[in-house]
Amino acid sequence: MAQELNKHNAEKIQGPDAIPVQLTINGKAQAFQLEPRVTLLDALRNHSTQTGAKEVCDRATCGACTVLLDGVPVYACMLLAIEAQGREITTVEGLAPDGKLTKVQEEFIACDGLQCGYCTPGFVLTVSALLAKNPKPSETDVRKACSGNLCRCGSYPRVVEAALKAAGVATASKCEVLTNV
Amino acid sequence: MKAFEYVNAQTPESAAGLIGTEGRYLAGGIDLLGEMKEYIATPARLVNVKNLPTTREISKTPEGGFRLGANVTIAELAAQADLPAGLIEAAAEVGSPQIRAVATVGGNLAQHSRCWYYRQRDLTCLKRGGSTCYARDGENKYNAIFTGNPCISPVVSNLAVALTVLSAQAVVWRKSKEVRLTMAELYADAWNNPLAQNSLQPGDLILAVEIPAPVAGVRSSYLQVSEKSDFDWALVSCAAAGSVNEGKFRGVKIALGAVAPVPFQMEEANALLEGKPCNEASANAAASLILATATPFSHNGYKVPIARALIRRTLLNLAK
Amino acid sequence: MSEWPSDPKFLGKDTRRLEGPAKVTGAAKYSSDMQPEGWLYGMIFRSKWPAALIKSINLEKARAVPGIKGAVTVRDGERPVYFYGEELAAVAGTSKQACLDALRLIEVEATPQPFVVDPVEAMKPGAPSVFTDSPNLSEAKIKEEGKVDEAFAQCAVVVDGEFSTQVQLHHSLETHGNTIHVRAEDCTAWASTQGIFSVRDGLADQLKLPQSKVRAITEYMGGGFGSKFGPGVEGSLAARLSRETGLPVKIMLTRFDESLAVGNRPSSYQKIRLGSDKEGNLLAFDLDGFGSAGFSSGGRTAGGGGGAGFPAPYIYKVPNVRTKQAGVATNAGSSRAFRAPGHPQGSFGMESIMDELAVRLGMDPVDLRIKNDPFEIRRKEYAIGREKFGWAQKYKKPGSTPGPIKTGVGVAGATWGGGGKGTKAQVTINPDGAVEVRCGTQDLGTGIRTVIAVVAAEIFGLTPDKILVRIGDTDFPPSGGSGGSTTTPSVSPAIFDACTKGLQQLQTVSGVADARGVNFLPACRKLGVEPIVMQGEWREGLSSSGAGGVQFAEVAVDTETGFVKVTKILVVQDCGLVVNKLTAESQVNGGVIIGLGYALYEQRVMDPQTGVVLNPNFETYKLPGISDIPDIEVILLDMPERGVIGIGEPVVIPTASAVANAVANAIGVRIHSLPITPDKILEALDRVPKGATAGNEELDPAFARVERADGVAGDFVDFLPA
Repeated sequence: MAQELNKHNAEKIQGPDAIPVQLTINGKAQAFQLEPRVTLLDALRNHSTQTGAKEVCDRATCGACTVLLDGVPVYACMLLAIEAQGREITTVEGLAPDGKLTKVQEEFIACDGLQCGYCTPGFVLTVSALLAKNPKPSETDVRKACSGNLCRCGSYPRVVEAALKAAGVATASKCEVLTNV
Repeated sequence: MKAFEYVNAQTPESAAGLIGTEGRYLAGGIDLLGEMKEYIATPARLVNVKNLPTTREISKTPEGGFRLGANVTIAELAAQADLPAGLIEAAAEVGSPQIRAVATVGGNLAQHSRCWYYRQRDLTCLKRGGSTCYARDGENKYNAIFTGNPCISPVVSNLAVALTVLSAQAVVWRKSKEVRLTMAELYADAWNNPLAQNSLQPGDLILAVEIPAPVAGVRSSYLQVSEKSDFDWALVSCAAAGSVNEGKFRGVKIALGAVAPVPFQMEEANALLEGKPCNEASANAAASLILATATPFSHNGYKVPIARALIRRTLLNLAK
Repeated sequence: MSEWPSDPKFLGKDTRRLEGPAKVTGAAKYSSDMQPEGWLYGMIFRSKWPAALIKSINLEKARAVPGIKGAVTVRDGERPVYFYGEELAAVAGTSKQACLDALRLIEVEATPQPFVVDPVEAMKPGAPSVFTDSPNLSEAKIKEEGKVDEAFAQCAVVVDGEFSTQVQLHHSLETHGNTIHVRAEDCTAWASTQGIFSVRDGLADQLKLPQSKVRAITEYMGGGFGSKFGPGVEGSLAARLSRETGLPVKIMLTRFDESLAVGNRPSSYQKIRLGSDKEGNLLAFDLDGFGSAGFSSGGRTAGGGGGAGFPAPYIYKVPNVRTKQAGVATNAGSSRAFRAPGHPQGSFGMESIMDELAVRLGMDPVDLRIKNDPFEIRRKEYAIGREKFGWAQKYKKPGSTPGPIKTGVGVAGATWGGGGKGTKAQVTINPDGAVEVRCGTQDLGTGIRTVIAVVAAEIFGLTPDKILVRIGDTDFPPSGGSGGSTTTPSVSPAIFDACTKGLQQLQTVSGVADARGVNFLPACRKLGVEPIVMQGEWREGLSSSGAGGVQFAEVAVDTETGFVKVTKILVVQDCGLVVNKLTAESQVNGGVIIGLGYALYEQRVMDPQTGVVLNPNFETYKLPGISDIPDIEVILLDMPERGVIGIGEPVVIPTASAVANAVANAIGVRIHSLPITPDKILEALDRVPKGATAGNEELDPAFARVERADGVAGDFVDFLPA
């Protein structure tokens, strides 16, 4: 599909004004009219209603805009929308289309792998992609996979816990409550 | 970003034709779009080169070496287990998983300065055509300790450092034909010329990188030290390649990154190691030779001991 | 004994966040996600000068850009600029691209002024003045108790040291901003704020609308850490652009903007002297300190503390104390409250010098702390923590690990006041058993929505998921801003009060003696058509203030590269009654991780030559990432008798101090400034070559192009364009 599009548009100069752009977002084809300079993140958030991917740094440093491109996590802020044509784009909204949460989503909630939640869509997608590729990751695998996602509230320890639990790897609680001290 | 035209090139020839005087080639886009968002680069046209034939493949050369297409992603490189270890290690330290998924071999080599004066949208430093290298008398902790010109921005490509010691060559489309540049040649201009990021001329396009056939017993190693554990630029990086026979260094090459506008190597240090026992003393001697000419600035003298440690560690890794 | 139930079902247990499903599916709509019909994208134009006199700003060309619907200046006419990034104007248009193009066409006529961004330089005579009418250096605040000089003369041991801390940025992931729709008669603002009522009141004042006609909504927000109160300049500009265009306008700051103009933790410089007798009883303390909160510091704010003050000698009881603190104005963005304002700075200086004293006394640093800490709970925490951490086995002579990778341990304590304050809440008990609680608080990410559900569920004997909680709307009963660890202690009692009254009313009306649990629905069914609506409010006795906490840190330092790896943090923290264990622990993790950033990575860097911020991004303003996080172990002390106490602030305070002490214990040399980066480690270990500092000599800019670093005239000139 992507190849065909490229052939079709080969050496045809497009822009700088808005041109038709077709994106396949969460399995549905959507038509846009965009300038070539519009990023995929901008297309999702400002030219559509899919605001799950967040704009935080807009410079490929934080991972809040992570989407899956043919199943692989990428930064939507550093990808031109025009270049995402013909690819399967999955945003966080597309993970549970029928309303039934995935195991990863369930464990993020159960382990409290989120606080303000602004980084959460990115982490959920990154972890989902990891487990699709590596169903039994080690703690180091999780950390490496999530090294491109920042959280400011400090949900990291519980993101790790959620990822491991979703993979069926046992983890111990790091917290105890002492009474009557 | 300033508005631009976009076009898909199908051949190197047409890409070079389409780029004109105000165009830029677009591969993974991580570096280029970053510059464009800060208006450091304002190209009138982006020529997508990701569809050029064979540039997404890793293949064997007739001589038994590797040919890495310029559009091979860093993630693909890092996952290619039969490549030299030093190259895989260097690839694994590039950016984050999301960056490695789209960033390319060619883009990594051709990426521009990360000096924070260069990247500051409201400054015009020497490298951007201004009159002053602010880093010299300013906040230069991340800058070079070797340079041949008034700009002290260091090269930050991990791959360049690893490929240097592997004697790799960049295959560059230049004026309608392929030319081959060693890593030293690919960056030579940046040593002398403050405006240069590398030796590529307008319209030049990296098509591939070729690594000579591996020689039995030759190993390679890449290490870097950053401030953070992951997803951080190297303060100093170091790569070494060569063999250790009967406890002695043979044919060893060593290069440093993030300390000079070019992958920094010194033939004398490579020569010094020849036939020397593989131990800390030899490694330290090489490090001393390489670092003797360092001229640190007010805030980056600490790069010298880091470089010393990394030279020793990468060299000793060759025996592992 | 407090009124809280003694044998709770949900209080203190793990309750999942009610909004979890919304947040993991992207269904949660933040203020930055709002897309009201016809909304416009807005962006702010900022000063490129660190100091300037603006003569005029011309927006005509910007207005002419296709898609641009409105443009405003912050102030008309001549005006000064005090820092790089100060807001000058804003535009609104139908796309981000239109705004970007418009910003580049705004024309400013300005006269650059002399500036100073380094606080030490700003204090020197002859330094450029940030304000024309007042000195950069404020008058010092001097405090003296006891007879300090005499006491020092009697000390068996006196240690001294100079310490400094960096400017830290809040960097909430959701930037500051609002989506605002101003209509002729009223206004709706979807705000990313810690205080919805502060936004409402600020906008009402600006727009000259009755407060009842302005509605601020914050259903979800992406972090604030103390920096998000009131509409801010960005809110004010969005409101003006909305009024001008008649359309909703969204202005969310960019990360670049966020790095310049919306607050920070001010720097500190501390010269400390501390003395004790030979048993380690502290006798005398002397501090000469200053800091810079940017352009809001300095002479103009004398008497107000200059925004850069910090507590000293922090948590310790010292009979003879002298402190002198001043603020220095610089041409830099102003500070704002940042999670435990003042405390991390005060803690770093004091806890560092305490460890110096312990080493000089040959005393265990934990013992020294217990001996001099007046707060009983914290003394217990040290005892619990040292056992759990294995302190006795791990603490050793500084720098004594063999080999290049050296390990060390450190400890530090903290305090925070907090406490509850006026909050109102309303509970509705419907005849079908549906319960709805409304409260005009807001959730920064701490989990207050779930706390409300837990409290209500506890009282009604229902499960928390049966409670519909509605917050983040100024149409609901008022609550204060979420700052100073006050939210849970303010809100929980109001919910308790409303629900307790609601339950009583339900029992009265229904005639069911105990309408809780299984009896709840049958009781509701007896209500007929009229629901019970009951107001409640915060009152004394259910919450308190004054939390103590201690943290232990273990580190490994590579003495050849200067790389520091924190391997373990143990937190022992008191927060009174634990309401929701799950979210309380998350807040502890969060505090530790921001503290870790303060310890090792984060620092706003400004260029003294040009006055700009050099790292207005996450590439070189380094936030801790997931691989930087140590094993964090949390022990909460549950003390229901104290009532509810906030936990947000105290847990951020001691981390950097404990890490710094651990680093000193590992390498045998102390790093006196934060963040502790490899360059400082190698410098402290005397591994950096001296003398070779090519950057220090004067280099004539005109000469720069023909001068090589080694002094040899280069041939590179040929490569330069004409």
